[in-house]
Amino acid sequence: MGLVTYIVRRLILIIPVLIGVTALIFAISMMFPVNVRAYVYIRDIRGVGAVERERIINETIHRYGLLDPFYIQYFRWLGEVLKGNLGWGQADHQPVMDSIIQRFPRTLEIAIISAPLIVFIGIYLGVISAAHRDSIIDHFTRGLSIVGWSLPSFWLGIMLLAYCYGHLKIGVFSPGNLSSEAQSIVASPEFIRYTRLNIIDGLLNGKPWISLDALGHLVLPTIVLVTINVALLIRIMRSSMLEALSKPYIITAKAKGLKDKEVINKHARRNALIPTITLSGLLVAGMLTGLTITETVFGLEGLGRWAAQAALLPDMPSVLGFALFTALVYVIANLIVDILYAYIDPRIRLG
Amino acid sequence: MVNIKSKLAEFRASLQPSIRELKFSLKLLLKSPLSIIGIIIIGIFVAIAVLAPVLAPPVHRDPFKIPQDWDLYRLSSEPVPPTLEHPFGTTQMQFDVYYACIWGTVTAFRVGVTVVAAVLIIGIVIGLVAGYYGGIIDEILMRFTDIIIAFPGLILSMALVMALPNMFSLNLSSVLVIIFGVIMFLIILFKPDRRLMLITFTLFVVSLYSMHYAPLQIYMQINKLDKVMIALVLVGWPGYTRVIRGEVLRVKNEDYIEAAKASGCSDLRIIIKHIIPNAVYPVIILASLDVGSIVLSAAALSFLGLGAPPDYADWGQIIERSRAWILQGATLWQNMHAFLIPGIFIAVFVLGWNLLGDAIRDVMDPTLRRR
Repeated sequence: MGLVTYIVRRLILIIPVLIGVTALIFAISMMFPVNVRAYVYIRDIRGVGAVERERIINETIHRYGLLDPFYIQYFRWLGEVLKGNLGWGQADHQPVMDSIIQRFPRTLEIAIISAPLIVFIGIYLGVISAAHRDSIIDHFTRGLSIVGWSLPSFWLGIMLLAYCYGHLKIGVFSPGNLSSEAQSIVASPEFIRYTRLNIIDGLLNGKPWISLDALGHLVLPTIVLVTINVALLIRIMRSSMLEALSKPYIITAKAKGLKDKEVINKHARRNALIPTITLSGLLVAGMLTGLTITETVFGLEGLGRWAAQAALLPDMPSVLGFALFTALVYVIANLIVDILYAYIDPRIRLG
Repeated sequence: MVNIKSKLAEFRASLQPSIRELKFSLKLLLKSPLSIIGIIIIGIFVAIAVLAPVLAPPVHRDPFKIPQDWDLYRLSSEPVPPTLEHPFGTTQMQFDVYYACIWGTVTAFRVGVTVVAAVLIIGIVIGLVAGYYGGIIDEILMRFTDIIIAFPGLILSMALVMALPNMFSLNLSSVLVIIFGVIMFLIILFKPDRRLMLITFTLFVVSLYSMHYAPLQIYMQINKLDKVMIALVLVGWPGYTRVIRGEVLRVKNEDYIEAAKASGCSDLRIIIKHIIPNAVYPVIILASLDVGSIVLSAAALSFLGLGAPPDYADWGQIIERSRAWILQGATLWQNMHAFLIPGIFIAVFVLGWNLLGDAIRDVMDPTLRRR
């Protein structure tokens, strides 16, 4: 079976999962009373009086048949979702889809910075730890990973914030995406938002200090995300590295008289990396979850904080829209991982 | 008399190998310093939980309600640093942090152990059914787990906590109808007996009647912490189901299962006597590694404001109160006691479970056991 066939088959297999995911989201939304569900179809009714509001809701319930059997409603809802209508979010007072588009760059910024750090640090420490098994470095790394695995990320975030911003009074570590003066410049009409990513837009507008400011605000959240997520990667990398080091071809390589460094870097690490790739899918889930908490702690105006605020209201369309979005990201990430895996390891697609 | 004695001796002899294995396991467990640390940590927390009424005598009738110091509250609602009266200080609205930490230990055990036990039972039962019977049942159950696993766990539980109703009403009659229906089906399948059938059928009709004309309803109040636990269970079981299904598929084709089938064992007997003992270890390892992360998830939900109510003794909830000062960094630093100590409780508790889980894995995993 060729790689193309494999990709096509994998793409087809995704369809039932997507149907299931949307069905689950729809099932959760059905747990709400009908007048809450009507908000999927209603636009802004903030300024409307109570009597009029009730009339609009009743009209919506009848027009969109929200009391119909659930399978008819499901397909109608799915149609709306495919058109890009996830409903009206009370948290942001705008359609949920707009909120996602508006806030996604904030989340992307921190994800782009922390993901490579997590991967490189995790792989490096895992390899070192396995190569020097039972040495001081190994014990230290394992201790670090088990502590990182046990720390509550929100607590770590508050501690860092209290120390760096509260005690040391470093202004660039203040909560939020930007300091107040940078915020006012970014909000002004002269500042053109090419990509909506503050770091890049600052450079494009010829104001590099805004980029630096935005970058500075991401330092603490990145530290938290890396500490929490790197633990899992270190554990997996270490164990797969240990397994690779016990294989006969390593003994052969050593017997040939190759240097330890070469054996570890060229023979063992490449093979040990394969299981780690599968883990990257899990890492995406960890990032999305971690972002929800980290953004709440550091007041970053990203997707996670918005969803956490919406869940408190409770604002059903926003939270379920966010859940659907994360599931979609996660499914796509897993798809890419699977294809990458098949590309690297031919046994997968042949077997 | 002699017969009993010889039987007893036989029984002892049959136990001998498992006692030897147990001793070996304990020796392995006590050999690694990390696992000893884990056991000591969990031991200390168990002691705190058991002695909670002595360490922090309850003020309210509900021991999980954190007492507020009204004398201080009259002056201001701002937190007070540790004093003799409040060993860990107070947090906003003058809630006593020491009390919250001590009774929070009980909450953490309750959440962690309840959720893991529920997830373990549900996961094992569904995994056994899917793996043992295979075919269409397996396909449906596995696609269902695929769907739940397609979500990042905490985000799905967030949505579930938001969606779960405050009041849960259960129609007992309809449950009875289902139960008697299944029993009738089983009787027809396995033991066609006219009298038994008649009794069950009568009960079935009675419950069907009561479902329509005099329904037995029970209402259950669900508080916010219960919602968190339910959500974590709903999100958690697919992982266990997958692991146990894989194990069952492996065990199912072993020769001893064939032998048991050939000697006429029933399905139930094969599952209980032969499959469960051989397939259950990986899930138990998973469960012991999971208690910590479940407590972490519950704490994270509490921190987001979705967990325990504001006056409930829970570690995540007490840290959540500090969110009010995040924007004023200096206040955050001054009131450090209000989140530092509960955070240490969470971290050490989770660390203890993780160390213990690691140790249990090293002891139980047959590939790591004798090396």
